Amino acid sequence: MTEELLNCIIVLGERMLVAGAEVHRVEECIRRLCCAYGAVRADVYTTTSNMIVTAETAEGHFLTQTRRMAGTGTDMAKVHALNDLARRALVERPEPGELLQQLEAASNTKVYPRWLKILSYAGVAGAFTLFFGASRWQEAVISFLIGGIVGVAAQLTERFAINKALERFICSFVACMLTFTALHLGLAEAADKIIIGNIMTLIPGTGLTNALRDLFTGDVITGILRSIEAVLLALAIAAGYVTAVFLLGGGF
Amino acid sequence: MQLITAFLGTLGFGILFNIRGKKLWLAALGGFLSWGFFLLLGLWIEGEPVRYFLCSVLVSVYAEILARVVKTPTTTFIIISLIPLVPGGSLYYTMASALEGNGQQFLDNGVHTLSLAIALSLGIILVTSFVRRLKILKK
Repeated sequence: MTEELLNCIIVLGERMLVAGAEVHRVEECIRRLCCAYGAVRADVYTTTSNMIVTAETAEGHFLTQTRRMAGTGTDMAKVHALNDLARRALVERPEPGELLQQLEAASNTKVYPRWLKILSYAGVAGAFTLFFGASRWQEAVISFLIGGIVGVAAQLTERFAINKALERFICSFVACMLTFTALHLGLAEAADKIIIGNIMTLIPGTGLTNALRDLFTGDVITGILRSIEAVLLALAIAAGYVTAVFLLGGGF
Repeated sequence: MQLITAFLGTLGFGILFNIRGKKLWLAALGGFLSWGFFLLLGLWIEGEPVRYFLCSVLVSVYAEILARVVKTPTTTFIIISLIPLVPGGSLYYTMASALEGNGQQFLDNGVHTLSLAIALSLGIILVTSFVRRLKILKK
């Protein structure tokens, strides 16, 4: 167990977490890797924004490293690749240099092309508009189109990396403005269904569920952080909605 | 109709979450199943939170099994498969009633949303802790 090795392991954990792995999985993974490389004991504490690892070497030295994570996304392909790497490393125990190389290779996962992502935004919006009970096809089509535009907006705001709340605010604002415009033009009737379909991609429903899951499993701090993040994002979406209602009068 | 849209919506989310290859289709199938379970349970059980809980247990089992078969972290399937159940719609109505200044409705919707989210996460936890316990026993 060396400083260099611990660095590799913690980078692995950090990347897993940022790609959207559960806190529990990351802690377990780091602990087991440290032990596999000969640490007598390893203490890992991780929240979504901070990571502390202390490993006690066989010679009785204590190695500690910390990391600060800026934000998390969701890239399941990367989580999968890194998780595989960790499993292999547990058995094969490659040298630090080699581990780092494998790490770089595993982090380089393919992503879907931009047009497909935008199409997904549109598809999700259209599908959920029908799912939540819009009675006419027209609504789904409008929602599909708006979803595409929201997808473009989401990609643009993400590129500028302002911050998550502002991103959601802008996207929700765009979605609601377009919906109300469609309503005023007489193209659609069920504004609420269209908006719900569109904000499904924005709303932190998954965030809320994950937050509660963490709370119940004992990762209390992470759970609290996630809950507050979910509430903030919901507020940002609400603010976008209100601004649109204020400007266009809304349909209610 | 709802089943097809649940499948399509889940598929879209899978792409946004960068799930690749056959895992994407399996995850989308999970979305289809979760809503299927929900509708099916509706024949016997009326309370939404109870149905959510049971669905989430069933879908978590589905996800755990798949994760073993295709050797990938379970989260991939759990998060995605539960998307149709995630209380996005009811979160929206909570928000909307708050903005309309309707306090009573806001509370009702808020409690409803929270109870659904709690039911979902309890279902997930029940299965994950059980599986974890099994793994420890096997060793």
